[in-house]
Amino acid sequence: MRQAFLFGFPSPRLIARPRGLSTWWRAALAAVSISFAGHSALAQHQHSSSEFEVFVAAEGLAGHGQPHPRYDDPWFDADVIFGFTHGQFRVFGEYFITGDEHDLERFQVGYEVVPDTVLWLGRFHQPASAWDTEHHHGRYLQTAITRPAIENWEDEQGLIPQHITGALVESRRPIGKEAGVQISGGVGAGPVLIGQQNEPIDLVGSNPGKHGLSFTGRLAYLPDYVGTSSAGLLFGHDQLFARTPLALAALRSDHANLTIYGAYADWGVDAWRFIGAAYYVDVALDRPNPNESFMSGYLQVERQLPHRLTAFGRIEDSARMQESRYVALLDGHTTDIDITIRREAVGLRWDYARRQALTVEFDHEVSLSEHGYEARLQWSAAIP
Amino acid sequence: MRRIAAAFLVLLLGTATPALAGEELVLIVSTRSDVDQLDSSLVRKLFLGLTVTHHGNRLRPVLNEADSAIKELFLQNIVSMSDSTYDRYLLRLSLLQGRTQPTVYRNNAELINAVAADPTVVGYVWARDVAHDPRIKILRVVWHD
Repeated sequence: MRQAFLFGFPSPRLIARPRGLSTWWRAALAAVSISFAGHSALAQHQHSSSEFEVFVAAEGLAGHGQPHPRYDDPWFDADVIFGFTHGQFRVFGEYFITGDEHDLERFQVGYEVVPDTVLWLGRFHQPASAWDTEHHHGRYLQTAITRPAIENWEDEQGLIPQHITGALVESRRPIGKEAGVQISGGVGAGPVLIGQQNEPIDLVGSNPGKHGLSFTGRLAYLPDYVGTSSAGLLFGHDQLFARTPLALAALRSDHANLTIYGAYADWGVDAWRFIGAAYYVDVALDRPNPNESFMSGYLQVERQLPHRLTAFGRIEDSARMQESRYVALLDGHTTDIDITIRREAVGLRWDYARRQALTVEFDHEVSLSEHGYEARLQWSAAIP
Repeated sequence: MRRIAAAFLVLLLGTATPALAGEELVLIVSTRSDVDQLDSSLVRKLFLGLTVTHHGNRLRPVLNEADSAIKELFLQNIVSMSDSTYDRYLLRLSLLQGRTQPTVYRNNAELINAVAADPTVVGYVWARDVAHDPRIKILRVVWHD
């Protein structure tokens, strides 16, 4: 709930000294803040409010065929959400902490031009991801423990760039008495291809390499304007430049242009919820290399049961990933299962107390070269 | 066993109903507010954390948790959600956009004072608590016995 807004960087040791791109970026944010502060609209609305929430999770993992927990399976993580609203002006951030990493995942400065239409500047999650724009990094609001592999973050061998630094417009308009349409579009600097992952712009660190242009969008229908169900179309285009010799050699191209077409639905019917998405990804490389493409999709079904239990199951599948040099580059080449091309998962979540849940999940995963079985147990919570 | 359970339920209802007999839950604003009416869809939108403006002013909802009956009636009649679903909905709004959640009051007098002090604040209380308060304007009856 609402709290006094007190947020600072915990220690100088945790945050690298800002250099390069982040310097101009911080200056731009400051300039935007100052210009909004003088806006006449703010003079009419003197109310300020702030938000501070922490989503925490702890997870245990056991498996056959996957000897080591992956980077996306930290035993503990905390997702800190902070926001400040003053009239139509907003500042919002998400800071994600695990034992291995701590990143300012999102930092956005926004202005609500008209009700429910916000123009944001900053680093944001690209709107063409059906899963990540709904769940972000916090685990508590995600029913399953794992996320579909095609929705993985860049540092989890994610294939689709998820973080863009630039401008984002989010708008929701009514249709008729109850329904609505949601339009989101983002443009800005995308990630750069390093050894085995895409690396997005770091707002508080250095950013070597050439960050290409990304633009991405979503058009969705909302059966209930204030509800959580939606279905729509997704589009993205990312210009990824290879920074390292490994990436150049693997791709045989100094860049990869990704064009993503997708469709999704996140639909609740009584005690049921259906979340499904399908993506077609076209990868354009330097000539004479032929372009490549692959597809991936998933369907998750959830059913609320008595005693605050929720059962869920998910299937993921893909096509032509084995033939893609771009996918091979991002595959970890370790003994772990990295890029999942097929998965079946079932699980049960128990919301045993207010804002606390226990979840168990069993997976069968198939990667480019292996397969394995996993069992996970997770405690997740939202604080306060 | 079923008869005993049914008898217990009747007993419970019998003791609960008189407590709310003749009660009305009303939506209130300050008399300084120029809001004279809000339809139910706008009220729902407001308490679900979306932006609702009136003559360019952004309205701000406050939650009344002074007693469990008010909270239950609010969930049933204004947002049409269970307690846990509404809580998750507000958390989701924070996660998506950092939208601030409504302020919660656990004391009727404090809530009424907050509404009276700010013409953009919208709240809900028992009608009898504001019946003779010249600072408060009743917009609509949300529920009545």
